[in-house]
Amino acid sequence: MEVINQRAALLSNYEVLSLLRELESDHLARTKTALRIKKEEEQAGTKTHAPQEEICENLRTIEVEAIQYLSADFQPTASQSEAGIAQLTKSLSAYELTKAEKLQIVNLAPTEPVELYVIVEELEDRFGERMDDILSLVKSSLSEPTIPAANGTAVDDIQLQYPSEEAHVYQEEATWEDYQVNEVVFDDTGEGAGVEGDLDADDDGE
Amino acid sequence: MFQLSIIKDTVAVHPSNFGLPPEHAVTNELNKKYANRVLHDVGLCVCVFDLSEVGEGKVRYGDGFLWYKVIFRLVVFRPFASEVLLAKVKSSDEDGIRLTLGFFDDVHVPQMFLPEPCAFDPNERAFFWLPNSEATSTHDMLDSPLTDRMYIDTGEVVRVRVEHDEFNDDEPGPPKASEGVQQQRERRRPPYTITCSIAEQGLGPTAWWQNAGVEAMDEG
Repeated sequence: MEVINQRAALLSNYEVLSLLRELESDHLARTKTALRIKKEEEQAGTKTHAPQEEICENLRTIEVEAIQYLSADFQPTASQSEAGIAQLTKSLSAYELTKAEKLQIVNLAPTEPVELYVIVEELEDRFGERMDDILSLVKSSLSEPTIPAANGTAVDDIQLQYPSEEAHVYQEEATWEDYQVNEVVFDDTGEGAGVEGDLDADDDGE
Repeated sequence: MFQLSIIKDTVAVHPSNFGLPPEHAVTNELNKKYANRVLHDVGLCVCVFDLSEVGEGKVRYGDGFLWYKVIFRLVVFRPFASEVLLAKVKSSDEDGIRLTLGFFDDVHVPQMFLPEPCAFDPNERAFFWLPNSEATSTHDMLDSPLTDRMYIDTGEVVRVRVEHDEFNDDEPGPPKASEGVQQQRERRRPPYTITCSIAEQGLGPTAWWQNAGVEAMDEG
């Protein structure tokens, strides 16, 4: 094993959460199909040896725990949307914020001046009155938290009630594909090289 | 908080997984190897983000595995210094506060990084902060009226700033045996610990700051 680049890019919490949710729905879909195949085989009385993917316990553990943390009610992820974040990073580029500061603004979505003070160093000297503009930009990037949260629980309910219903999973996959098309890797906004560029540079160096 | 690390490794795919698409099988193997483990000086691995480059699978003499040389990107939990995190209080003792992120528990706030003046209340098993107080000794602070104390209770959500992190790679070493009886091994240090601070305006339990305006900041 060799670490080529320790920190190739920074990820926002929202990106990690979407990735983990996708893994989770993949996993659910897979267990469902595995179950269905098993049932069909039992009914038909035949036994085929379809490849079975083993479930990685470590991955499941961190997946579930990290999703819990990232979607907890003290996190702003419930009211965030991909378009909102893209809009926010675009409008934040007008301010002289460092990459780390922008990432934390996206992650923590500060709506109170106190929260912004913690994230941005020497806020008053650097921005003064413009601080309120940043806060209103953050506010406008957040949607009503109740809508996604309610959606989330509704989806969960459906899943619990009709375990064989697969429509929901496909739907999730479709939205994920959309996400990839308009993918916002945080690193790409702002100064310099994108993720892919970094990777290429490494290859050339070898 | 999370970052992508590019890593190069060689993985073996067991013949029972040959039925899967190769990229699938390789990702599974990599997740099995890295997920939820601490990589020294890199961080806590979460999962494989994507595969950048996968070589031809090769069979080596001696086993039926297909060996792939892979370059891949890994999602890693490694907050940078001075990053602000939200965490829950797990427990408190005389030395400081232990925090948890749910998937990662080795986050500490030592007493020196608590807001001044601060004292540990042994009855409540929690630290409290006395804002606008002149008291300096622990004794004076424990005499203060309860209503002035701002407790940092277990289970509360706190905003903390990362001060530094530390990796420990303790080799287990050979088991020590004296007189034929295996000795109890001493507690090992956690492989990755993060030290945080709440000694700053705006940090600490989120409830402290919810309705505090800029005026409160200026006072502090």
